[in-house]
Amino acid sequence: MTLCHFAGMDAHSKRTGQTRRVHAVFCPIVPPHVLDHLSRSGDPVLYEPARRTLEHDALQRTRRRITTVRMTAGPAAPGEAPEAEKKPRRTISDAEHREQLPGTKVRSEGEDPVDDASVNRAYAGLGATFELFLKAFSRFSIDGAGMPLDATVHYGEKYGNAFWDGERMVFGDGDGEVFRDFTLPVDVIGHELTHGVTQHTVNLAYFGQSGALNESVSDVFGSLIKQYGLGQSADQADWLIGDGLFTDRVEGVALRSMKAPGTAYDDDVLGKDPQPATMEDYVHTGSDNGGVHINSGIPNHAFYRLATGLGGNAWERAGRIWYDALTSGDLAPDADFAAFAGATVSAAASRFGEGGPEREAVVKSWSAVGVSPAEQAPA
Amino acid sequence: MRITVTRSGGFAGIVRNATLDTRQQSDAAELTDLARTALEEGRGAPGPVVPDGFFYEVEIDGEMLQWADPHLTAAQSALVKKVLGEGSPGGAP
Repeated sequence: MTLCHFAGMDAHSKRTGQTRRVHAVFCPIVPPHVLDHLSRSGDPVLYEPARRTLEHDALQRTRRRITTVRMTAGPAAPGEAPEAEKKPRRTISDAEHREQLPGTKVRSEGEDPVDDASVNRAYAGLGATFELFLKAFSRFSIDGAGMPLDATVHYGEKYGNAFWDGERMVFGDGDGEVFRDFTLPVDVIGHELTHGVTQHTVNLAYFGQSGALNESVSDVFGSLIKQYGLGQSADQADWLIGDGLFTDRVEGVALRSMKAPGTAYDDDVLGKDPQPATMEDYVHTGSDNGGVHINSGIPNHAFYRLATGLGGNAWERAGRIWYDALTSGDLAPDADFAAFAGATVSAAASRFGEGGPEREAVVKSWSAVGVSPAEQAPA
Repeated sequence: MRITVTRSGGFAGIVRNATLDTRQQSDAAELTDLARTALEEGRGAPGPVVPDGFFYEVEIDGEMLQWADPHLTAAQSALVKKVLGEGSPGGAP
């Protein structure tokens, strides 16, 4: 393929209403955010090559460096401990503001709370996550086989992020300007641990649609962990991700809204929440591994529709269907939205009956976000 | 020396971008040394991507580099922090 080409063209900005002559260079050296800007242009001459370049570059990058920790998929091994004996094994470490993992061990399973609130919140959040997966889905820890739950807090200096490194959850204290401590919202803790569950089941590739599904699954179960802990039904839940994470300076309620993607924040510095709710507004970008934190709004909203459509506690039916799809063994790591939707339709039919209202509700919720569930290939 | 950092990914998925020209900095010599060290240590492929990890695209005097958390060296980490913290927003060539 041609790596670089120059094109002179008229760029029209919908936002400013101005048209100007630009010379776009579609070459890897062009910063992704410039390509991103072009890719969002209303003019196909402008956005098509930019989108192709972005998606190609990002795919190549991802192929080179994607996480390759593939574990055994499927349910836990037979001969396991009875339910009552299944307990979490938590260890919290403190990075003491350095970027070295795991840091110093500060609280282990069964030990009393310490003076550090971040440590205690992480410990409690790991427990809440363990509890939901065990009680609602009979899953024994992240890998289904009692894997220890490890977390590191106080990672880095004013570090405004939390991530899953393939083995443990890592939390920064926030930069204090935009973000507070990442251990504050329990759904953030649940989100990170659920990356572990995904890794040990479908292992959805962290790029494009499969990556957006990976993110969405973490938001879905992160929200369910919060709802389960608060005893909230689907219509009582706020369906927000990261409520309480922003400082008072930010104009926004949370990082994402599953109920109304694209409305969580609108701030002078951060800009506006870029999440779409439907396929019509799917964002083509090379940044953020192909917009994994952006397009997750689409499956997030499908789940919200299903949960509120069915009513009651979201983890009982909607959550069960999503969990069954994730652990069905029918999905490939590169599954797209349609494939995942197909797996949820099959899961609803298997668990609640072919002609049941659950299956119909699943089809309807995907249809509302513009996704046609793929037919499931025979096993 | 001109340094541009674009940080994407992260739990929030919010992109940040900033440029810093060392010639306009009082600690120019120190910063240039830091950038050279970061450059020397950071020419290879970035480590494996982790879910919600930050991804950095760094341009130092026209040379493009890609780094990913949590695999940054101390110099790389200090450099991106400095540029994102003190540089001017934007700065695309």
